[in-house]
Amino acid sequence: MGREVSESCVDSLLTEMVSMYCNRLYANKPELAASRIDAIGYQVGHQLSERYTMERPRFTDHLDAIKFICKDFWSELFKKQIDNLKTNHRGTFVLQDNRFRWLSRMSLDPSPENGDVPQENSEAAAENKAAQVPNMHLHFSCGVIKGALHNLGIACAVSADTSHLPACSFVVRIKP
Amino acid sequence: MQFFAGTEISPSLPAATASGNNGHMMYVFNRDGICLLYREWNRPLHTLNAQQDHKLMFGLLFSLKSLTAKMDPTSVEKGNLGVPQLPGQGCSFHSFRTNTYKLSFMESPSGIKLILITHPRTGDLRESLKYIYNLYVEYVVKNPPYTPRTPISNFLCMCELFNTALDQYVRSIS
Repeated sequence: MGREVSESCVDSLLTEMVSMYCNRLYANKPELAASRIDAIGYQVGHQLSERYTMERPRFTDHLDAIKFICKDFWSELFKKQIDNLKTNHRGTFVLQDNRFRWLSRMSLDPSPENGDVPQENSEAAAENKAAQVPNMHLHFSCGVIKGALHNLGIACAVSADTSHLPACSFVVRIKP
Repeated sequence: MQFFAGTEISPSLPAATASGNNGHMMYVFNRDGICLLYREWNRPLHTLNAQQDHKLMFGLLFSLKSLTAKMDPTSVEKGNLGVPQLPGQGCSFHSFRTNTYKLSFMESPSGIKLILITHPRTGDLRESLKYIYNLYVEYVVKNPPYTPRTPISNFLCMCELFNTALDQYVRSIS
């Protein structure tokens, strides 16, 4: 029997976690903050994949495991599946989600079309900082995928690309 | 007053007709009087000082609300005029109309005040204001870069989605 929690609560928790690591704990070291957030995601992904593969037989090869991530794992997390999966059959997979839920409320390009061009340094710096926030959130999701795959026995590196919000692609490179 | 339990950007959009140039201005204040958002679509006479304009508007609504609550003939308690009221306590005023414009007002339980000024023949905008409040919650409050109690400016908190959704919706109000 599963217990449920409100989605807004989870969203707010993630937001607060990212903001705490970026702005308070490692304020001037974004790489450290990113690796911390990645580590948290790793733990979460590890435990989630343990839970969601409880009744399934072992996966026969890498492609099956990636398909599990795309279908079952993603539907448990986000109630939808990955929209597009590409591979080069040599250990690299690209998972694309056309409307990534955790980023669906952010817009990437603050457009200065209202006539205000950022002229002061402080505004430009704030804009740069604001543009990093979606990337920080993605470190968590990459960690989740990495942790899930490690638990299934696949060592890999995961990176994300958000050139077109709210669509988001994760690139998984399996280590030989 | 019932607020929402929707999942995506619902509740259902109130029926929208027409032309697109009816919304004049919009203010959003928070509980402390900080003007979170000021948008204007159609305002022929510009005030000189935006800060004064915001303060004036906030003061006007504060006084109007407490006046209307005190003059309520159906309420039992007789507090003193000027005692600040909790949002939703007593009667709540929702619009006034002059020969040139109509001002519609909505206050949420958390003290967020939405003010929309339109042309005088606009109907009841309470559902529309609720929809705009829902847009605010979805796209501003839940937007990670946004810090609460600061104005919604595009550079600091990347609320482009909110601005476009709001523009689109207000242009479709009749």
